[in-house]
Amino acid sequence: MDDLKEELKRQLIEQLNLEEITPADIDDNTLLFSDKGLGLDSIDALELIVLLEKYHGIQVTKPEEGKEVFRSVNSMAEYIRKRQN
Amino acid sequence: MNFITAYGHLQENSCAVNGETICRRDKNSGDPWFRQIYKEQEFVYPKFHKMDVLSQAGFLTSELIKRANPQFAGKYKDDEIAMLFANRSGSAETDQKFVHAYQNGTPSPSLFVYTLPNIVMGEIAILNKWYGESLFAVLPAFDAEFYINHCNLLLSAGSEAVLCSWHEIAGNQIDVFTFLIEKEGESRFELTTNTLSKIAFEGNFHKTEINANYYY
Repeated sequence: MDDLKEELKRQLIEQLNLEEITPADIDDNTLLFSDKGLGLDSIDALELIVLLEKYHGIQVTKPEEGKEVFRSVNSMAEYIRKRQN
Repeated sequence: MNFITAYGHLQENSCAVNGETICRRDKNSGDPWFRQIYKEQEFVYPKFHKMDVLSQAGFLTSELIKRANPQFAGKYKDDEIAMLFANRSGSAETDQKFVHAYQNGTPSPSLFVYTLPNIVMGEIAILNKWYGESLFAVLPAFDAEFYINHCNLLLSAGSEAVLCSWHEIAGNQIDVFTFLIEKEGESRFELTTNTLSKIAFEGNFHKTEINANYYY
């Protein structure tokens, strides 16, 4: 089990108030902004930027990266590792 | 003649529809009061959990009114249902939470979007796909004449029904009275100042009224 990904799932649920979802409901590849996935919206995208800064000390300085970074838990974890190294 | 075809009261400790209490607050519950109602009434709308208290109250009372009047939803075109809301404190409750979050270094974008009182009507419109007229007024106190005058205007200009609400939430004080006005309907309540005031005060509006007197 990847600790960072599990941590990210818990943070997503807390930051986005996803009360009816548990970490087990979120697959590493679940699409965050698709109706077939978590169905997040544009305000949630801003919350994800806050999440990265609040929990991981990472500022998203290139907004054009957002679409790929926030695609799934996998892509978020990959981005965090890249920025921390 | 227009009619009050359904109504609901939401207060600190109870929630009633058409004068009958359907839910009482469990003070031992770990859930906030509005979430208690959401669970007890078995609603399924995950966005509810992201809303501020004004919008949560709007969701709950409008959905309960729809349940009490099941033929309502399919009766009108999407631009024939108007909304007319009012309260005394605007979105002050959420404004204060946002200021507090901002001062503590973690301003929340999702909190910020609720720092306008009329967002509650947007939430109801999105959920129901209603595209009719909408107005949110900030008034010193509940005023039956305000609703009657504006409903008459809306119903004479294309709207067939108006979802109205006195929507006051400030701190622990909750005075929400939501009611549905239709041109026709099987209802014993004609829309008059006396009837509307009487139904409104079936709930316990004492605190809003006392506070309003302060302003006068």
